[in-house]
Amino acid sequence: MSDTLSTAPASAPLVKWRPTGLLFIAAPILLIAVFLFYPALRSIWGTIYVRQPDGSYAFSIASYLYFFSDSYSLTNLGRTFWTTIVTMVLLIAINLPIAIYLRFKGGRLAVFIQVLALFPMFVPGIVIVYALIRYLGPNGLLQTLLEVVGIGGFQSPYLTPWGPVIGMVWDAMPFTLLVLTAGMSGIATSAIEAAQDVGAGRLRILFSIILPQIKNSLLVVTSLNFLGLFGQAFMPFMLGPTSPEMMGPFMLRTFSTVRDPLQAATQATIVFALCSVAGLAYVRSIAKRRAAELVK
Amino acid sequence: MVMKRREFLKGTAAVGLGSVAAGLMGKTALAAEGTLDIFFNSDTNVVEFWASAVKPAFEAANPGTTLNLVSGGGGASMNALAERAFAALQSGTDPQIDMMEAIGPYHPEGAIEAGLWDDFSTLNLPNMSKVNPAVIDNQWSLPYRGSQVVMMYNSEKVPTPPKTFEELVAWIKANPGQFAYARPDLGDSGACFIERALQEVMGRDESLFTNDNYSDEYAEPMFTKLWALLNDLAPSLYKGGEYTGGNTPSIQLLASGVITMTIAWSDMALVAMNEGVVPETTAVAQLQDLAFIGGYSSVLVPTNAANHEMSLKLADFLISPEVQNKVVSELGGFPSINWSEMSPELQAKFANVATTSIPTFPGPWESHLFDGWYRNVASNLTRG
Repeated sequence: MSDTLSTAPASAPLVKWRPTGLLFIAAPILLIAVFLFYPALRSIWGTIYVRQPDGSYAFSIASYLYFFSDSYSLTNLGRTFWTTIVTMVLLIAINLPIAIYLRFKGGRLAVFIQVLALFPMFVPGIVIVYALIRYLGPNGLLQTLLEVVGIGGFQSPYLTPWGPVIGMVWDAMPFTLLVLTAGMSGIATSAIEAAQDVGAGRLRILFSIILPQIKNSLLVVTSLNFLGLFGQAFMPFMLGPTSPEMMGPFMLRTFSTVRDPLQAATQATIVFALCSVAGLAYVRSIAKRRAAELVK
Repeated sequence: MVMKRREFLKGTAAVGLGSVAAGLMGKTALAAEGTLDIFFNSDTNVVEFWASAVKPAFEAANPGTTLNLVSGGGGASMNALAERAFAALQSGTDPQIDMMEAIGPYHPEGAIEAGLWDDFSTLNLPNMSKVNPAVIDNQWSLPYRGSQVVMMYNSEKVPTPPKTFEELVAWIKANPGQFAYARPDLGDSGACFIERALQEVMGRDESLFTNDNYSDEYAEPMFTKLWALLNDLAPSLYKGGEYTGGNTPSIQLLASGVITMTIAWSDMALVAMNEGVVPETTAVAQLQDLAFIGGYSSVLVPTNAANHEMSLKLADFLISPEVQNKVVSELGGFPSINWSEMSPELQAKFANVATTSIPTFPGPWESHLFDGWYRNVASNLTRG
């Protein structure tokens, strides 16, 4: 890895500040500011600078106090954390072995496995959801198959907390695998062979060579998956239980059915604050890598 | 065949549109000239009904006009569209919305006062006199089809369906796990079930619930009784108190044989039975003491619609006997005009239904009722 990096041009001109460079990014930054930051800030502002019953506006954190004192809202937040974390753990547990396999084994089978793992990317979520209901649902294909081979007592995950977990694992799998295989490709075969030569076992290689080198990929995939999963509305909506709700459907419902935009914006701000922690981890890991590359 | 005819009509409409556009060239260059953008809140079976029963006839009668039928994508999106129409009204621009289907006029706030929606009580549409006054909820909504919630069940396992709500409750308790209803915010069938339950605990007195009498203090004691009833029922429901995610998932559960009875819209139930997606033994029944709540779906016309005159013409066409007969025969719905205006065959066939009025439930109550349901009923499930 260091070989390729050292051939990069000398570092001094790269870090020199040039105003023309800023011009190139001015247009996208402006778009982001006008269409994303401004409306987002407005709605966050709207949750603390609130219209009072008499028509005037005043600072108030009542909606936040309500959220954090309302056991129903907190249960929903807890369910969201549970679902997100369980899904993330499963994603890594499933995709890491595949990524390792793809890195060290070639041939047709490996290609086939990769295509299979990336397949969900090409299938729209709504199709998956209905297919999963038909397959995993009560009296579905899976239950029928199990009964044919004599396994009874199948409990369908449909409309239980595991429903959205299964849907979201399927949905986020291609992305996770792509990032992990990209990280894997940076591991030099020579490093592994060297370790093998001095007698390192497979587990030793995994923990001392592979995992440290893909630390960054793991961080990226964890933080980005967290962002994607935490705000998911569709899968929990279709596959999950009625209650507790995940924050996605809960926000939607608060906004459209309960018709309480203030509380919905408050929930969104809280979700945003939690997600920005994951976002921060992602940005820091990118910035660190950039800095490391520039120094070299 | 049907497709071809439709394509042909589309083609002729396009030719007509072209000549109209050519004639107006220089005056106006609006791309939407002659195209009515209609947004639907109802499910796809209703959009299909419009495509086959309303669109061809209206376009043939009004050369140069095209109906652009757009599925609105659910309540929240429809609300956003209504907000767009309101914003366009305030800025004096084209909302690009000529008609909205199956939403109320109360969102966004202030729209009624600002005159966003046409007031049908003052417009004197030629067919307006035929409309059954009992089905008009407010003067901005023009009702054009009714549908009612029914019990949909497997007649093999239930030879005699419950006749009263009390019998229904008794049946549910006697057959644990065999009944499911939809979450109230996701499928109106579930909403109608809990609303009927609310009427039940209040002695079936419909007059207690009106469009403008909701207050927390007034509703609280009623809701307390309702939660007690529904929580008592919950352990006997599917999976010990799980609720389906909409009208279609309810029918799906019934179709897969997991449950024996559910609550469904009459039109969706009839379509499912006609298409054979549910077993042949499936049947529907209505409560006899006080029928399940139904509702009339209406259309709203924004006063600032680009094709305003044509939109009103379409609104009038919707309440003509021609379309209303098809609402019954093709959609499995109820007409919004008086039965005396309907075709004699249909009058005879539906003589029993015709006398039944459809109870409705006031919209302003629902947001409180649904949220209360989530907090007090749905959250009590303990998983074993």
